[in-house]
Amino acid sequence: MPSPSYDICHPPLRTDGTAARTPLPASMTGMTTTTVATATDVPVVAGFEQVSKAYGNVRAVDGLSLALRPGETVALLGPNGAGKSTTLDLLLGLKQPDEGRVTVFGTGPREAIVAGRVGAMLQSGGLMEDVTVAELVGLACSLHPRPHPASEVLARAGITQIADRKVNKLSGGQAQRVRFALATAGDSDLIVLDEPTTGMDVSARHAFWATMREQAGQGRTVLFATHYLEEADAVADRVLVLHRGRLLADGTAAEIKARAGARRVSFDLTGAVDETVLAVLPALTSLDVSGQTVRIQSADADATVHAVYGLGLYPRNLEVAGLGLEQAFVAITEAEEAKRA
Amino acid sequence: MTGILASRALIKLELARALRNRKFLFFSVLYPSVIFLIFAGSSGTGEKVGGTGLTVATYLMVSMASFGALTAVLMGNSERIAKERESGWVRQLRLTPLPGHGYVLAKTASAAVVSLPSIVMVFVVAAVVKDVRLDAWQWLALTGVIWAGSLVFAALGVAIGYLASGDAVRPITMIVYFTLSLLGGLWMPSAGFPRWLQDIAEWLPTYAYAALGRAVEQSQAPQARDVAVLAVYFVLFAGGAAWLYRKDTLKA
Repeated sequence: MPSPSYDICHPPLRTDGTAARTPLPASMTGMTTTTVATATDVPVVAGFEQVSKAYGNVRAVDGLSLALRPGETVALLGPNGAGKSTTLDLLLGLKQPDEGRVTVFGTGPREAIVAGRVGAMLQSGGLMEDVTVAELVGLACSLHPRPHPASEVLARAGITQIADRKVNKLSGGQAQRVRFALATAGDSDLIVLDEPTTGMDVSARHAFWATMREQAGQGRTVLFATHYLEEADAVADRVLVLHRGRLLADGTAAEIKARAGARRVSFDLTGAVDETVLAVLPALTSLDVSGQTVRIQSADADATVHAVYGLGLYPRNLEVAGLGLEQAFVAITEAEEAKRA
Repeated sequence: MTGILASRALIKLELARALRNRKFLFFSVLYPSVIFLIFAGSSGTGEKVGGTGLTVATYLMVSMASFGALTAVLMGNSERIAKERESGWVRQLRLTPLPGHGYVLAKTASAAVVSLPSIVMVFVVAAVVKDVRLDAWQWLALTGVIWAGSLVFAALGVAIGYLASGDAVRPITMIVYFTLSLLGGLWMPSAGFPRWLQDIAEWLPTYAYAALGRAVEQSQAPQARDVAVLAVYFVLFAGGAAWLYRKDTLKA
């Protein structure tokens, strides 16, 4: 899945004028970051402080610290078993941490939910059977301390047409939209979504994220777990990469890509290729020579290419392309695996 | 009280759903009356059940009204709760401000709404078909005692719903249901049992439950022992249900 051009870093798609944070310096490359917002002037929506949760011998979440700030749209990425679901369960008070502390709006998760500040949809969240979509959404509205009108909630989730249908007669994608309606039944400040677009087709997915951006645009904080990396790339203005219950990376999609050696540089050389000469190129994260073709991953493609010419080489068929978030993600988690091995 | 207020939306929806489920409703409301007719059918109107001074029809009326209430609350609670725990609906509800006991409250309320007509139906059939005659206060007291007593089994239903999961819940409920009904003397007077079985039966909640109704029929105050037995079972079942509920909450 090659990324065709330089221009793959989507700007954060936020409508409230909040700009993406400045990329972190390249020195963070290769380091495990567990950055916690320490700025005292920024209120914390949700915070994890050294939180651990184990099942038997498996540490599902391992000393996790992080802070969500108001108005952010945050993607939680990680391979299966990385601890995404456990992290969300801890955040929502469905599980209790073995160690550490989880706070939501300065209180425990349950208190925040009771106050109506958190709306959430879980992948594992079942729906009440033998009732209609409208009845179920009406229930969610009645239970919320600051409810939206049910008709509005139905319309926003795109389920007005199926309002009279029985909940147990819905397709997977429709059920997801009903779950989304339940999560947005009231005026919550934090919306938590676990794999929200599972079972939706491409157009439904686009419509879903358009709605979600609108929610974020109203100043809500959105946290979502996904395994569709392009969603994280296009929608999130902050990406958390979770691996073996620990936070491997925390930054914008662009920063994550930069961290993994964001650019791929490839070119052909005439004559014998001396790898040792190439190895001194700046900002290299990987070097692969096969025949006349050189393939490089670079944290700073400009500097690398400049240095290639500086060596007196004449690269032909020069190509510079960005890594997709997916490749970056694979690179980061593989590097971590290699470190452990 | 705040629990009831916060839960009223769910209670309303659970009630609507229970009343919409014609199959369950039909079964729960008519089934005890049908069994009553079968069991009481052959007995003459004047025939008495030994040692009670009650006619067979009067005696069986309380048994079957109790049995009907037991059916509605035990079956209703256990299976629904187990199923909804498995489907994740219970989890989803925990993401709402609904208090934890609100769910159990709504389930029990909807079961109680189904059990009331099943009790009344047995009374109507007994009065019309088998000429059972009681004073007005007795009819009212019987309804109240049997309806209130069914809460003990509603609690048991909740406990089973949180204990068993998936495929196991139905057989477990059935075994408990038939054992309690049969040994408690709801189907036939336990006086016909062998001595050792009678000794066991006397301590079952269903035995004490039916004894309450029979005391009303005999114009007597309920026996303190029966009330005590039921109270102890209620504490046991409700306590067990609360404990299992909390365990499930931590696991979910």
